Amino acid sequence: MTDSPRLFDDYAPLAGTWDELFGPGGPRPPFARVLEQLGKMNAGDFTRSQSLAELALLNQGVTFSVYSDNRGTEKIFPFCTIPRLVSAKDFAHLDRGLTQRLRALQHFLDDIYDGQKILADKVVPAEMVLGSAGFRPTLRGVKPPGGVRIHISGIDLVRDPDGIWRVLEDNVRTPSGVSYVVENRVITKRIFPRAFDAGRIHRVDHYPARLAEMLRSVSPVAAEDTTAVVLTPGPYNSAYFEHSFLARTMGLELVQAPDLFVDKDMVWVRTTRGPRRVDVIYRRTDEAFLDPEAFRPDSVLGVPGIMRAYAAGNVALANAPGNGVADDKAVYPFVPDMIKYYLGEEPALEQVPTWVCLRDDDRRYVLEHLGEMVVKAVDEAGGYGMLMGPQSTAAERDEFRRRIEAEPRKYIAQHRLELSTCPTWIASRGRVEPRRVDLRPYVLTSREGPWVLPGGLTRVALVEGSYVVNSSQGGGSKDTWVMKEDAS
Amino acid sequence: MISRVADHCFWFGRYVERAEATARMLTASHSLALDAELEPHQCWRPVLVVSGEEKQFRAAHAPEDDHPAWGDGELVERFMTWDEDNEVSLKRSIVGARWNARQIREVLSLEAWETVNELHLWAAGEASATEWRDHRYGFYRHVRQMTQLCLGLLRSTMLHDAPLDFIWLGVLLERISQTARILDVHHHAFTRLPRRHEVVETALWLSLLRALGGYEPFMKRHQGRVSADTVARFLVGEARFPRSIAYCVHSAHDRLCAIRPAAERELPGGRTLERLRILDGWIVARRSDALTGDTVHDLLTHIVDEAHAICDGLGRELFGYGG
Repeated sequence: MTDSPRLFDDYAPLAGTWDELFGPGGPRPPFARVLEQLGKMNAGDFTRSQSLAELALLNQGVTFSVYSDNRGTEKIFPFCTIPRLVSAKDFAHLDRGLTQRLRALQHFLDDIYDGQKILADKVVPAEMVLGSAGFRPTLRGVKPPGGVRIHISGIDLVRDPDGIWRVLEDNVRTPSGVSYVVENRVITKRIFPRAFDAGRIHRVDHYPARLAEMLRSVSPVAAEDTTAVVLTPGPYNSAYFEHSFLARTMGLELVQAPDLFVDKDMVWVRTTRGPRRVDVIYRRTDEAFLDPEAFRPDSVLGVPGIMRAYAAGNVALANAPGNGVADDKAVYPFVPDMIKYYLGEEPALEQVPTWVCLRDDDRRYVLEHLGEMVVKAVDEAGGYGMLMGPQSTAAERDEFRRRIEAEPRKYIAQHRLELSTCPTWIASRGRVEPRRVDLRPYVLTSREGPWVLPGGLTRVALVEGSYVVNSSQGGGSKDTWVMKEDAS
Repeated sequence: MISRVADHCFWFGRYVERAEATARMLTASHSLALDAELEPHQCWRPVLVVSGEEKQFRAAHAPEDDHPAWGDGELVERFMTWDEDNEVSLKRSIVGARWNARQIREVLSLEAWETVNELHLWAAGEASATEWRDHRYGFYRHVRQMTQLCLGLLRSTMLHDAPLDFIWLGVLLERISQTARILDVHHHAFTRLPRRHEVVETALWLSLLRALGGYEPFMKRHQGRVSADTVARFLVGEARFPRSIAYCVHSAHDRLCAIRPAAERELPGGRTLERLRILDGWIVARRSDALTGDTVHDLLTHIVDEAHAICDGLGRELFGYGG
């Protein structure tokens, strides 16, 4: 050890923001032992650990493809090795809340693709649901094999200045990122063995085994006779690393659409020993490109007839097609009502207060407070069709006012949330500073019900002052350490 | 096993083997050029002929037959190592191996994948260029060691099952072609040297054996009796030397039998298996033939043609080429 300052010596959380690791009086008590170990390092020690971690990721090819570069360049997802910790008490709360939410969303999808009682009872406005781009009328009446629709979910959580966890967004179509959870852990255990040992941290490396078990549980044939595969769009997809990671760690074949064909309403894979029947497909392709017969007649991608096989109950698709209606931004504000309606329970997890412009009172409030709010168009993603009130010009606000009045169904609005921060290594300054984070936990739902992985992907906005954690816009990741028990 | 995946496995094996073969051949030629008292072009031109890139090199660097580029070792080495337009350059082989590996990452073991990925990152970075400039032997040695590590890890960390059989089939078929062509070219050149000098000729044959990792095994079999005939017979027919043609053809047949057992007649792959079985028998039948002059060339031509036909057959019957 040298005299140079230690890692957290001059760390100062932002005012008016919750910090995940440090309270006003220093380390948060459940994490004291872990932070004491990590805090023994100085900047030089830490720089070495951080470069070892980055080299390991590059050598292992833990990379994502950069779309804009036609040479197929691959980059590592920036990784800050300082872990984000979650106390045992907090995790028990999240576990309860996520399980409840998943059960309600599953009921909602079952209902929407069957009797639509929730619409008849006017708990959710019918036009919000039936007008959603994710709603597939042709799937009404189709029962998924095993009865499960949301096999794998990644529900994004944030934490407000009071430390209250809130659901930001539901992802129940093809959520990605879980491979980083497992790979990041391999590295943090390697470089911080003492800190890891000082806490008692839940393992995450059994995720692939649980995933494979879940996939077999929804098979239309006996579990032991099941052939399950992972379907990827191919190596040029930005998440290809994850697709191959999951196939490899589950021991399943990774297939592309041209490897599959449908005959007699059954799905087959072309093998070196002739065709072989496929029973379960973990599909990582967008559903619009799943079956040209069903969704996109203009598309040459996909497996013609696969939806016929699905409707006939001969193949399970995870996640089920048609789930997009449940994670639509227009439907999100109604999830607490769904929980009460289907389960008769109070929601365990808060979400971000949201104004629905279709409602007269809400719309009036939004139009009066345009300069303070974030307005989102419900059927657009990736930050398009958004008004960031505090940074907007008068002309932009007028434009949104016109759009909202013309098509109120299309817009929802929220106040900007002060996302919580976590100590993050800033290489250019050689020191630790607060940066904003979110958390994506993963939930697997088998025939027996949901299971929450005790861990998750913490995404961090590496740019100072930024709220955007997406990897395409300067975001990185952290390992998430969930405590088995809290230090007292 | 999925046909497309089998295809990538096969080509992954071929590229890894090709990278190693190129590194070996360049190291041996470099060493030969330093002490064999040969004209430089006699050392370097065969390298281009063996790899089938003579025409490409002529177009790029040496329009006339007596052009000095034919004997410019530095140029030939750079062409065979770095030239991205040269389909069989070391760089292209490493990129090809890694590209195929990336298509089948879930099939390879993590440790095997890491070696090929590290080799690729190294070859694309500054460190390899510096090493090549300052420490040529070390550069090729690194390539050899990484490819060997990769092939070894495949065998020690993967299931011995269809994917490994396909990878190994690729390695063996590549090796058959490499051994056949390198022997053909050298046999042709060495036995027609203008002033046949025993010491020089011996040096040439030893260099060829070194390029194929066969110096010591050859000596154990022949105790120093180095001649065109003994070397050719060793490289074609020595059943216990893992780079001989007889060994590779026989092992390739074993591998294909494991993938597609002869008794399971309804499975695809029967015609290719039969063709490989016939080639295996044909080579065994020639084991005691004297190998001199044109006999060697005719024999090797037949083997190279058959190896091509077998690769085409695998594509049609097992990899799903042409519908």
